[in-house]
Amino acid sequence: MSKLLKVENISKEFQTKNKGVTVKAVSDISLEVKAGTTLGIVGESGCGKSTLGRLILKLLKASAGTISFDGVELEKLSEKELRSQRMKMQMVFQDPFSSLNPRQKIADIIREPLDIHKVGNMASRKKLVEETILRVGLSLEALERYPHEFSGGQRQRICIARAIILKPKLIIADEPVSALDVSIQSQILNLLSELKRELNLTYIFISHNLSVIRHISDQVAVMYLGEIVEMADSEVLFKNPQHPYTKALLSAVPQIDGSAGAKQILQGDLPNPFHIPSGCSFHPRCPVAIEICSSLKPALMPNSAGESKVSCHLINPPKAGGK
Amino acid sequence: MKETWKKLRKKKLAMFGLVMVSLIVLVAIFADFFAPYDPSEQFFDGLTLQGAPVGPSEKYLLGTDLLGRDLLSRIIYGARTSLIIGIIANGVAILIGTTVGLIAGFARGKTGTVLMRFTDLMMAFPALLLAITLAAIFAPSLLIVALVIALVNWVQIARVIYTQTIAISEREFVEAAISLGATPVRILRKHILPQLVPTILVWATLGIATTVLLEATLSYLGIGVRPPTPSWGNIIFENQNYFQSAPWLVFFPGMAILLLALSFNLLGDGLRDVLDPTQRGKR
Amino acid sequence: MNYFLKRIWQAIATLFGVTVITYILLYLLPADPARQIAGRSATAETVENIREQLGLNLPLWQQYLNYLTDLLQGNLGRSYIQKAEVSELIMSRLGPTLQLMAAGIFLEILIGLSIGIFAAYKAGKAIDNTVMVSSFVLVSTPQFIMGILLLYVFAVRLGWFPIGGYGTIMHLILPALTLGVLGAGWYSRMIRSSMLDVLKQDYIRTAKAKGTPERKVIFIHAFKNAVLPIIAMIGIDIGIFMSGVVVVESVFGWPGIGQLAWQAIQRVDIPIIMGVTLVAAIFIILGNLIADLVSPLIDPRIKIQK
Repeated sequence: MSKLLKVENISKEFQTKNKGVTVKAVSDISLEVKAGTTLGIVGESGCGKSTLGRLILKLLKASAGTISFDGVELEKLSEKELRSQRMKMQMVFQDPFSSLNPRQKIADIIREPLDIHKVGNMASRKKLVEETILRVGLSLEALERYPHEFSGGQRQRICIARAIILKPKLIIADEPVSALDVSIQSQILNLLSELKRELNLTYIFISHNLSVIRHISDQVAVMYLGEIVEMADSEVLFKNPQHPYTKALLSAVPQIDGSAGAKQILQGDLPNPFHIPSGCSFHPRCPVAIEICSSLKPALMPNSAGESKVSCHLINPPKAGGK
Repeated sequence: MKETWKKLRKKKLAMFGLVMVSLIVLVAIFADFFAPYDPSEQFFDGLTLQGAPVGPSEKYLLGTDLLGRDLLSRIIYGARTSLIIGIIANGVAILIGTTVGLIAGFARGKTGTVLMRFTDLMMAFPALLLAITLAAIFAPSLLIVALVIALVNWVQIARVIYTQTIAISEREFVEAAISLGATPVRILRKHILPQLVPTILVWATLGIATTVLLEATLSYLGIGVRPPTPSWGNIIFENQNYFQSAPWLVFFPGMAILLLALSFNLLGDGLRDVLDPTQRGKR
Repeated sequence: MNYFLKRIWQAIATLFGVTVITYILLYLLPADPARQIAGRSATAETVENIREQLGLNLPLWQQYLNYLTDLLQGNLGRSYIQKAEVSELIMSRLGPTLQLMAAGIFLEILIGLSIGIFAAYKAGKAIDNTVMVSSFVLVSTPQFIMGILLLYVFAVRLGWFPIGGYGTIMHLILPALTLGVLGAGWYSRMIRSSMLDVLKQDYIRTAKAKGTPERKVIFIHAFKNAVLPIIAMIGIDIGIFMSGVVVVESVFGWPGIGQLAWQAIQRVDIPIIMGVTLVAAIFIILGNLIADLVSPLIDPRIKIQK
């Protein structure tokens, strides 16, 4: 399988109204996604995962770093070329209520990608729209209605229809089921899985919900305060978490089989993103932090077993691995 | 659309405004039919022996003016002038204001700042004086008067559209459109502009009250529509020396102006309540 | 402190911007500015002289600089029709206009407050509705009609006031009323809604529980809070009044800068029209500035508004 997406050293800083004070939402993130796989990005609210998703799609301009998609370096593209590239990478947003234009008919919403990129003619577009709405599990008569006439789950199906109609290669789903009822969540997740197989899609799935991530991802990246602290294959990460933060996250998830690990309650609150702690940003809350954690920032490196990439001094002691 | 109409129907004042507006528009369009006489015809018996205007009588329902012309006919044709100028001026104002506000609100950055600073600058000038200045510089004609009024009135609309555009641009479906690869023009056209329609509709009505009042004032000052073309404002201008002896020459046209402005104000206010309750009470 | 400085700087920048606009209107827009300034009945010779004097052959930026320097020295140009300096003409007439505006603001607040409070007190009842509708009517009335109406009814018919002119309080009342009544309509609506909001709040109920008579409750407590928006609006009102004086002064024969502008209109005396417009704009900018500087002092919550 080839590398569909390669992100290198992506950072994003936001300027605030106070002169000179910036918030670093995403710090120096690098990752790769292989075609046909699903990368799950998980973390608490405010860790920067949504920002990362938007950076990859170039909905936000990165402060630093490069993104290569399907062999093309996105930074080098002109506005027009970038718009054309967008055919291949799509997004499904978190809030199905606000990501649909309330004044557009469903047919127009789903057909819009085709109109924008001038695919086929009116007749072929109409046909494609009809096929797609059926594929996501809604009926043809939905096409003539407006977004407010549908439930959350149905609207999300419409969003998915809009995202897949151009048969993209990559879909970034930003908390696509977080706003939905639990019973509907599994329906949508199943739909996404089916579509992945049928259309040979690659997903980046962003969520704060560990069970959902576990269910759907091939690889998982854990984010904390704008950085990736651990990245591994899904099975490996959930069976054998390395980073203290990952362990704490996992211990908080109720297990259906009743086997609960010792619950690790994290000390303190999430730090103010304006004042990211020195050294390892997790060290103030880390139950096993040592002295060096407060002064030296750990790098994301493979652990000794080679299965997971972790940024932690305890897993990858600085003297041995170096920086 | 239908829901708006239903809600509007319940508002008695707004409905009154709508009815009055329709009546006046009807009279203006069919002026030839409604007016008893030719507005520029000077009647021999339209003036007294001393050459003064004649009061309301059976022949001249509202009396005559300083040249012996039938006041009622002049007022009816004046409706045409005032309405045409009011509508054109308002239309142009909305065009300019919406364009400026849209671009400034969507593009933001330097373009946005420059545009809005310019708008603020124009707002520093008192409307009437600015209109007077512009009217004095350019040669008089109906079109110029309409343009001058438009040039004075666009600023308010620009401000409102600007703030609304910013709010709309930040909604997720606009972000979705960008992620689909839509060009900025398409986004403005298909996603932002349609959301602005309620606001524009409200201004299309309320704005006419302002433009009609401004035209009347300019014509009264002698710098708007020039006689002999009748406009409610210039009828008063022409006849102001007679206001003590023949006050009807001032008050009939005056009431016409008041009625038209009031009707548009009531209608527009009702529309605003129905379409966008957050804007209530703004000047 | 930061806010105040920023606001003052903004006002200065706007003032400069305004001079640029007036410069454009005066010299760039007209086909032949020299002829325009000279007036319709000027000879070709006069026009040429003016062209020389104004240095209309100089590069644009230099012209503007000259214009600006003149302005800063208080020179607003010269009227060739009246054969006088514009600034002198304006200064001699500024007094009556300021007098009229002050009286107008006073009446506007007086009427607006009383009607607004009264309407809030009787909210929902028939009188309240009448008040609401009347304020619509007021807003839709052209000021010159209001002026002529007041003049006709109270001066011509009833004889209570002189028919226009200048000199005593009796001369002042009608024109001030004309100026102010429009804004009074708007104020009364605003005061009414603002007072209704305040009246609902808890501390009014507590005061009532304490046993203070109802009328006192309303007037003292709600009044204080409702007054704030008035202060903010005065700055904007000055702007509207500046337009209003042209009409009101011409209707009542009041010898202020409005009447000066009106005369200038009749004779197409551009320098005077420009001068008055510029002075009016300056007043508006200053008025807004004062309103913006004073509001936060009265209510700290207002601070970050703009």
